Amino acid sequence: MNTLGKHFAIAALLVLSLAVLPALITERYLLGEVVVFMIWAVVAMHWNVLTGYAGVFSLGQMLFFACGAYAMAMLSHYYDVSPWVGMPIGGAVAAAVAFFIGLACLRLSTAYVALLTLAVAYMVYTLIITESGCISNEGGRCQRLFGGTTGFSRIEDFGFRPLLRGNWILGNYYVVLGAFAISISAALVIIHGRLGLAFRALDDSTAYAAARGLNRVRYRLIAFVVTAFFTGFIGAVQAIHFRSAGPSLFDFSTLLFVLSMVIVGGLRTTWGPVLGAALMMMLLEVGKSVGDIRNTLIGLSLVLVVVLMPGGLMGLIETLFGRLWTRSRKEG
Amino acid sequence: MTMDAVFQIIVGGLTLGSTYALAAIGLSLTYGTMGMFNMAHGVLMTIGAYSAYVAASILGLPLFVGFAFALLVGMVTGGLLHLLVVRYMLDTPRFEINVIVVTAGVAILLEDLILKQFGAYPFRQPVQLAGSLRIGEVTVTAQNLVTFAVAFVLISATAWVLLRTRFGRAIRATAMDREAAMLMGVNADRTFLHVLLIAGGLAAAAGVLISAQTTLSPAMGTNPLLRAFVICVFAGLGSVGGAGIAAILLGLFEVAIQYTLGVQYGFPFMLGLVVVVIIFRPAGLFGHTVVERK
Repeated sequence: MNTLGKHFAIAALLVLSLAVLPALITERYLLGEVVVFMIWAVVAMHWNVLTGYAGVFSLGQMLFFACGAYAMAMLSHYYDVSPWVGMPIGGAVAAAVAFFIGLACLRLSTAYVALLTLAVAYMVYTLIITESGCISNEGGRCQRLFGGTTGFSRIEDFGFRPLLRGNWILGNYYVVLGAFAISISAALVIIHGRLGLAFRALDDSTAYAAARGLNRVRYRLIAFVVTAFFTGFIGAVQAIHFRSAGPSLFDFSTLLFVLSMVIVGGLRTTWGPVLGAALMMMLLEVGKSVGDIRNTLIGLSLVLVVVLMPGGLMGLIETLFGRLWTRSRKEG
Repeated sequence: MTMDAVFQIIVGGLTLGSTYALAAIGLSLTYGTMGMFNMAHGVLMTIGAYSAYVAASILGLPLFVGFAFALLVGMVTGGLLHLLVVRYMLDTPRFEINVIVVTAGVAILLEDLILKQFGAYPFRQPVQLAGSLRIGEVTVTAQNLVTFAVAFVLISATAWVLLRTRFGRAIRATAMDREAAMLMGVNADRTFLHVLLIAGGLAAAAGVLISAQTTLSPAMGTNPLLRAFVICVFAGLGSVGGAGIAAILLGLFEVAIQYTLGVQYGFPFMLGLVVVVIIFRPAGLFGHTVVERK
């Protein structure tokens, strides 16, 4: 079996076990946590595709996530667009925004890209929360075009409440699982398909790859736009699940929370971000019982993992097992 | 627009620009010498501002001592950042990405500790001067003058260190070519420590001046950090002198936009201008594209 096939098998197993999970846990809180895990895992995985494989260190991932969420929320609020239509549109809006940001900054080097994406995200955040005009006044409540500091709430959801009543969360769970399955499959196709090959060639030797006709900026732009699409798509899904979208999506701590998933799990490893998402969520859950130490934990894990274990957990596992593997292969 | 408005913009712009310059040159120096993009630069400003507050308000020290104390704490924090974290990462693969991640982690960690210690409620910075002066219709506060003077003195001192001392020559040599500098007997590790000491002190000073214009809050570093970043990109990352000039120019530009269009448009327009500049000059206004043969 080739690499892509192998990873698809792992993905199928993962999705299957997540699909039977509701039979084992019935607590709504835990199911809700698994939903959040799937959402962050998608963001982390696509961030890893972009940074670990395509070598574009973007700090604007939560901007793309918010683009999807806001597009969904605004379509629902102003035009009553159904969530099923809104989800792909959310992705498309994020991709379009990424395209223009990418055109402006992807020719530049690592630090410039990191900084400009961060600055653009911060600028959008500032513009949203300082918006002053009202587009309508419903009962003395000023409705700002982008929702101002409160954002949008009571977005139309998937419509499982009347159908499944108390078990509505199961409906949401399986929709998010579907979105998760689609998004991670896309990530696998990029990493282990032709695009991934191009990224690897460009990473090994930029000059040689360019001499063989690979356009570095074009491939970086493709990676930027495609990963932004899935990040925005899952952002729209998140907005529907929580029935809200607001400026808190731009919080620096949220950005670093997702980044810590990628780093703890292992940058440039296929499954690292998914593992990292699970671990970081558990860590913060344990931390909650101690007190409000969320940001301290995020900061500490980032620093400790990068300094002591630069490959992340998956990197560590790969080195450990890699040694056993090569030894057994030589003997066999 | 009247002449008075123009003068008011110039006074505001120079004050803003000189604080930005103070914040930006430390950042630019760190990037230029070590290739290290320091996301913790903003929290160094916050630490400086709170140190001055602690010294002046809680310990009751004179303002001048409070300022010196802030500078010292900033330098020590910068130094510790090198000794405890960055030192172990030099020469690792993907240093440029990893160092951004690590310093971002340090930033959120320290910011959280400050929040736990002092709370989220914004304080007034005690280390500032009251009083103002009116020239015609233009108001110049004493703090405007102090800000400008402090920034001028500290930036000149940094320039003097970099250009006129052995110590500064080592820093510049390391920035140009680390291996060659090491072959000439420069201890790169110690040079990096010096750079972060200087950057920490400058950031702390900037923090005190910024908090005097606004208020003290644990998240106060974020906004000036991003502006300092944008200034460095505009000037060309690593171009220290360029960062100083760019800071003044962008400060004037921002105040002009704020005055004419509204406060919230200052940063968006500044960013827009910078994006336009780097599309045409990817290495920044004062930067050079380095062609290196390997």
